[in-house]
Amino acid sequence: MADIRDIRIECKQSDVCPEVAVVTFEGALDSGSIQKIGHSFDVMLEDNYIYAVADMARVTLVSSAALGELMGCRTRLLERGGDLVLAGLSIGIREKLTAMDANKVFKFFNDVRSAVNAYNWEYHDRSESLNLSFPSKLTFVPPVRQLASRIAKQKGYGNRDSFRIETIVDEICNNAVEHGVEGDENTIELLLTIDRKKIEIKVMNTSDPGKINALKEISKSLFVPHILSDEVKRGRGLALVKMLANDFNIECSDVGTCVHVTKLREE
Amino acid sequence: MESQIELQSEDIQGKANAKLVRFIGDLDATNVETVIEKTFNLLNDGYVNIIADFEKLRYVNSTGLGILLHFSKSAKEKGGSFKIANVNENVYEIIEIIGATSLLEIYDELDEALESLG
Repeated sequence: MADIRDIRIECKQSDVCPEVAVVTFEGALDSGSIQKIGHSFDVMLEDNYIYAVADMARVTLVSSAALGELMGCRTRLLERGGDLVLAGLSIGIREKLTAMDANKVFKFFNDVRSAVNAYNWEYHDRSESLNLSFPSKLTFVPPVRQLASRIAKQKGYGNRDSFRIETIVDEICNNAVEHGVEGDENTIELLLTIDRKKIEIKVMNTSDPGKINALKEISKSLFVPHILSDEVKRGRGLALVKMLANDFNIECSDVGTCVHVTKLREE
Repeated sequence: MESQIELQSEDIQGKANAKLVRFIGDLDATNVETVIEKTFNLLNDGYVNIIADFEKLRYVNSTGLGILLHFSKSAKEKGGSFKIANVNENVYEIIEIIGATSLLEIYDELDEALESLG
């Protein structure tokens, strides 16, 4: 059994987010360390920290008693409107804690940085962006649309919202390939900006002078109600985007086309 | 790379001019040609009544939806039908938003679609 003197607990302010405390544990967290764990959170609360990330990267063992103490500490933070999350757990300890259902109580993060980023995301409405450039060919669109959907899911969007985002990205990118200059040497630019409440999707492509008038006609027709028939084979894509989006804008010029969509999180 | 789609067709007992076709994967602009070829092969071979099982069709976009409407129209012109069953809610929403629910014959369950063949 580890000796209590082997346990090291250090509490300090996060480098990137001043209101978050990072509590670094080192050694075996067992029944002998309960008092020390509790004391570290007493100090933290006295310093008015209510959000804490427990850095567990150098922890060799977490006993059920120590886990119970951590849960108690989390409850104290929750009562003040904060939270305690666990970061950097080894695979073995993570599996053990999961077997004890601790994953239903604590959020687990791979490292402290991810935990602090998640805090910023959750409480500061911070947005994250992805800028992607890919060849103007239809075969590149499926992985791009699936990436957008996975990002949305990873950021906590539900299945339906993620599917709608996948559809929007797919239709706009297909449209960009179809109405732009196609080929390996020409690229399509996709910019995704996502936060907790919405995703903004911007797709830009180089215009093909021979196709630009057709696109202008389609974009005009989007704002005129029409009845669908099985004779109509084109122009459904952008109409679908318009229906799925909360805000939709298309700018066509002889140089290029930019489609800008805002989709609010609904789930 | 193309999206993956697989079409598995099988006979329907007692219906010589009908086939059950299971759509598995994503239907989009990258693979519509394959789907068109396989479906029209069936229609041209005299299987004018097609039941499309969408239980494992994860995704469809406007291009894919366009060819479904085309299949429906072509089957009718040949005196048959193109019926769809087991559509997942995400795909159904896309069909609904496009306004194609009135143009396609859609059934909740595969059994209902089979029974509708009479």
